[in-house]
Amino acid sequence: MSEVPQRESAEDRAESIRMIRDSAAGIAPRGGDRKRIRALRFREPGYDPAMLRQMGEQGWIGLRVPEERGGAGLGMSAFCALAEELGAALAPEPLVPAALSAALLAEAGAEEALAGLISGEALVLTAWQEAAGTLEAPGHAEAARLFIPQAAGASAFLVPVRENGALALRLLPREEAELLLEKTQDGGFYGTLNPRGGEVIARDVGEAMERALDEAALAAAAMLLGVMDQAFALTLEYLRTRHQFGKPIGSFQALQHRAADLKVQIALSRASIDAAAALLDRGAERAARRAAVSRAKARASDAAMLVTRQAIQLHGGIGYTDEADIGLYLRKAMVLANGFGPASLHRRRFAAEAREEEA
Amino acid sequence: MSDLNDLSDEDFRAEVRRFVEREYPAALRNPPQRLHWEQGRAWFETLRARGWVAPGWPRDYGGLGLSASKQIILIEEYERHGVARLPDHGIIMLGPLLIRFGTEEQRRRFLPRILAGEDIWCQGYSEPGAGSDLASLRTEAVLEGDHYVVNGQKIWTTLATDANWIFCLVRTDKGARKQEGISFLLIDMQSPGVTVRPIINLGLHDEFCEVFFDNVRVPRENLVGEPNKGWSMAKALLGFERIFLGSPRQSGYALARLKTLAERMGVFEEPEFQDRYTRLRMDLEDHKDLYETYVAVLRRGETLGPDVSMLKLHQAELFQRITELMLEIAGENAGLLEPMGGNRDLHPAGQFIEARPTTIYGGSSEIQRGILAKNVLELPG
Repeated sequence: MSEVPQRESAEDRAESIRMIRDSAAGIAPRGGDRKRIRALRFREPGYDPAMLRQMGEQGWIGLRVPEERGGAGLGMSAFCALAEELGAALAPEPLVPAALSAALLAEAGAEEALAGLISGEALVLTAWQEAAGTLEAPGHAEAARLFIPQAAGASAFLVPVRENGALALRLLPREEAELLLEKTQDGGFYGTLNPRGGEVIARDVGEAMERALDEAALAAAAMLLGVMDQAFALTLEYLRTRHQFGKPIGSFQALQHRAADLKVQIALSRASIDAAAALLDRGAERAARRAAVSRAKARASDAAMLVTRQAIQLHGGIGYTDEADIGLYLRKAMVLANGFGPASLHRRRFAAEAREEEA
Repeated sequence: MSDLNDLSDEDFRAEVRRFVEREYPAALRNPPQRLHWEQGRAWFETLRARGWVAPGWPRDYGGLGLSASKQIILIEEYERHGVARLPDHGIIMLGPLLIRFGTEEQRRRFLPRILAGEDIWCQGYSEPGAGSDLASLRTEAVLEGDHYVVNGQKIWTTLATDANWIFCLVRTDKGARKQEGISFLLIDMQSPGVTVRPIINLGLHDEFCEVFFDNVRVPRENLVGEPNKGWSMAKALLGFERIFLGSPRQSGYALARLKTLAERMGVFEEPEFQDRYTRLRMDLEDHKDLYETYVAVLRRGETLGPDVSMLKLHQAELFQRITELMLEIAGENAGLLEPMGGNRDLHPAGQFIEARPTTIYGGSSEIQRGILAKNVLELPG
């Protein structure tokens, strides 16, 4: 992915972010399509391939891919805005994992596979993870690859493998892959992959992998922001309309104060994510990038769990039913909060990378 | 049968322990959700054969007539062994209520059928518009000749699909102050106009139901006590059972699972985890000590005050904090629908979800805090 800082003006950037949000709302409206989510969940592949194609047609999968490689060449601020909208819409389509693979295929110069992926026709997923709760790709040749999101719909896998002191990248077609699937709380499927086989398509993607994982972690934070923001909106609506003891429950001061505290956490998450995205778009040093991404993801993970837990509590009994939509947000947060690094890992990374004035 | 009350507490405890270790089905220990009647039936038959179905009922009505302190020992031993609760509203709620407020005819009619497992009862209190504010319930019973005609809806009725009878709080006087127009009515669920709809909960189980009443005709003799006195009767019954909502069992069991998970994830020895784990352990030990002070109140034969709300409040939130830490350390496993590797002890997401309603049911944490503020601390407002 390009290291060149974005040269567009602040106004241009704001305009392109607004357009992205508008087109996201057109395809996956915030909170407007929860029937779709329910119809897709717990059934393979766990998302709608036609919707993924539509996302490809919109240019979303290749949003960060440079224009000369067929992408839209937009920055992280735009990508995070998109991810936030898709989080708010609970979209199960694996946009963030697909974008991660697009970055690696662009780095590898694998034009054909890249074109198929960013069009939304083929889903290439990166099988980088060897342990729970990590954000590094060690590339052990024999280690099973874990927690591959929405693996049930994959047409191929990218497997990073350490060879000759560098991180090489193999492309493994689905037909040759040995894959196990497990259901996730949000209705999708994690895949466990036997990493053997496939063809080497790049010799050294170590740096690109690290950067792409950071961007995926930040995008996951933005999705969590959308999830908590929408869960909070539903909860405020409930506080205004649910009556007990002759008045709206939102008139009770204990609940008002709790809602106010949740608002603070959402605002902190948004500020942290926006600042990290802007920093990456300016072309940050590695340490600064890692510190900013980790600060945003740690905040978003903890805040999203807090907000969605409290959303259930504030809904009372109805919040504990599966038919109430608020539970869908809790389940999404349970999956995303620890994906691309749980809060504890990101706190450790921040402590290791942040300069004193950032701490 | 000899009177178990004559045994010393130690001997009685040993007796209960031997019994459950020998007789309780191993497959039913610590089930992750409430058992349906058919699942627990074999255990019920074991209890029935021994005459242990209703430990708290007087012996005249087929119970064991156990003292409060013996009942506490019994429940402690059941909990220790992971004995599941059966659909037991007839035994725990209705039986004592009939014994205290019912007519002799009502007792002779209903109690033996509960002991025989012929009638399974569920409880119809909450309504969609009457949860925390239960006294605002609107399900109505209008007297027409010898029958009450019932219309309305109940919700959060535990295991209504398993029950053939439901005891309900119904409104019989719309003109009175809201607590004063409520009666206690027994309704045969096979009556025309009764519909049960299971509600799938966040754990994807069906232990709660909605029950609808559409012009259901209920014989007048099924009203318990005096008309419009149902509220105070139901409230009087919230006796020493309230202590069990504050039992340390759930948290103790969850803490053991947290340790298993932490070892599996390889974080158990990490100082950061140890600090948080130890804090939870100490919270649990303190909770047990607090719980014991309330047990001691019951042993002395005294009644519990509103301050028992502290127990339920702290237990529920401790249980939740334990399961929240499970999610934090589980990495992506926190998002799995099923237990890790099929091992029921390694299911952080399931435990986390199971802990969610504990701060909602049986008086939400908000209600418990209100009770403490108003009835214990006597703050204004």
